[in-house]
Amino acid sequence: MSDDVDAAAVDPAGDRAVLRTDGVTKRFGGLTAVDDVDVRVEEGEIIGLIGPNGAGKSTLFNCITGRLDADEGSVSLLGEDVTDWPEYKIARAGLGRMFQETRVFGDMTVRKNLLVAAQEGGARVGRLLGRPDSALQARTDELLAYVDLDGLADVRAGRLSFGQQKLIEFAMALMAEPEVLLMDEPAGGINPSMLENLIEYIRTANEDEQATIFLIEHNMDFVMEIADRIYVLAHGERIAEGPPASIQNDQRVLDAYLGRE
Amino acid sequence: MSADEGALRRVLPPERVDDFLGACDDYGWLILVASTVLAGTLPLAGLEAGFYMTFVTDLFLFGILALSWDLVGGQTGYPSFGNMAFFGIGAYTTAILVKDFSVGFPVAFVVAGGLAVAFAAFIGVIVFRLRGHYFAIATLGVLLAAQQVSRNLEITGGASGKILLDTPSAEAFYYLFLGVLVAEIALVYYLSGTRFGFVLNAIRDDEQKATAMGFNTTYYKTAAWMLAALFTGLAGAAWSLDNTFVDPQTAYNGAWNVELIAMALLGGSGTVAGPVLGAFGLHSVIVVVDTYATGWQLVLLGTAVIVTVVAFPKGVVGTLREYAAEMAYYERGGMAAANDGGDDPDEDSSPAGGEAG
Repeated sequence: MSDDVDAAAVDPAGDRAVLRTDGVTKRFGGLTAVDDVDVRVEEGEIIGLIGPNGAGKSTLFNCITGRLDADEGSVSLLGEDVTDWPEYKIARAGLGRMFQETRVFGDMTVRKNLLVAAQEGGARVGRLLGRPDSALQARTDELLAYVDLDGLADVRAGRLSFGQQKLIEFAMALMAEPEVLLMDEPAGGINPSMLENLIEYIRTANEDEQATIFLIEHNMDFVMEIADRIYVLAHGERIAEGPPASIQNDQRVLDAYLGRE
Repeated sequence: MSADEGALRRVLPPERVDDFLGACDDYGWLILVASTVLAGTLPLAGLEAGFYMTFVTDLFLFGILALSWDLVGGQTGYPSFGNMAFFGIGAYTTAILVKDFSVGFPVAFVVAGGLAVAFAAFIGVIVFRLRGHYFAIATLGVLLAAQQVSRNLEITGGASGKILLDTPSAEAFYYLFLGVLVAEIALVYYLSGTRFGFVLNAIRDDEQKATAMGFNTTYYKTAAWMLAALFTGLAGAAWSLDNTFVDPQTAYNGAWNVELIAMALLGGSGTVAGPVLGAFGLHSVIVVVDTYATGWQLVLLGTAVIVTVVAFPKGVVGTLREYAAEMAYYERGGMAAANDGGDDPDEDSSPAGGEAG
């Protein structure tokens, strides 16, 4: 989310897509998990990705982040073709990811979890061998205060409850200042009162931190409220795309969720 | 929570332990300098060449080996059974250079460290494709292969090895091992507070996540492995001349490799002080048992290890840290902040210890 990225400048054709997949296909043996899927995520959007269990949502995410290599098709991030890049390089180029199950570094303190998440400086040896500077510490404090966990900075992250770990993971994602943040079921396992906070956090990340957000979600109320547009996958295929209102009334979507083919 | 723990809590309240460990952290450098000065003055204060000087020198040696092992095994989560390969390479390098090529020991010492590092870089690219048990087995294979190679080459003296004469004095080796150990502790202690150190811990806790966050983990793992090889190689380089004898069985000593893993785990894997203290403690026990209970050493040693593991599941330092910090979550508003209806705090019991100590 550095200010110098101007998506319009990224693509001379004026394509404002910061993330796009073209014909991405992923097969596991005889099963086509993701089938010729096109996705366009424009700068500043919050995009939802929904679909029944096993629809290929997480697999599509894995193809985007480079964890899996797509069998066909291409992925571009900020105008660059990243299809064949290794996962760490795509992440460094500005793609953040939150996993479905919470993933924090359990034996490290909460503070260190955030400090290690900062992308600033990349692998440059000087930064790597230096101690975290005051700006980084301040940013850590700021984000921990933001998610209301500032009292727990020096506690081992593995001690925290599930919901707290989820917040830590969210703060870690923001620490990296991603251009695009992929979130795999952010509302999963979160209780209703915290859901309101989560919506607020995601909006802030999107507006104040200028992260474009692409999220998988099963909680329909949640995704309908937060997403600008929604993609629907079923059996690996993209069956619908559009604003929440139209998706809600789309017959193909209703059929897919109710199991009518 | 047993009654014993209640009693322990009264005698040794967690806050006290926390204060103590906090002070150790705050004055880490001071403690290191003071210990170094103390160890440095022992020979001046009457520690003469002989049994006791050899004993203390060996403490330094095992401290180096255990801390090197822990850099990859504890801090990064890759348990190696092949660290002694670096030791053997260091040992043979100095032996061959000094004896056959009449190279001065200081030069041979540096070359030995360099060769161990180069070997680690080469092997690292291969073995770091593996994880967990597979990594452990592969590194054991590396150790056995290295041992076999030196057994069959002419330049290494084959199975009978090499005898080294005209070696430096016991005092010289005392100070050399002390110097290497202090340099290594200082470096690991410093690194544990840098982003490099954080990334190693992140790889240990969740390598997939670390990769997804933009870290080329192979690069970090190999760097840590090369650092471990440097100090292990230097230790081997000094050891061969100090020992005046090097052969495949002792230079590539698989039993030592297991011992130094035990040292790191008992002392507190993933901490700075733990592996060193573990090495001091376990080697002392080994020496005492060897001296006064010959014939029973394996039984007593096994008992000591079992008792320590039961009492200190995360190693002495790691378990103390856990004990000191166990209430911190609640005291610092853990449950107050836990208005998410989430599960109880996990009680995971991964073998790696806590923070640097």
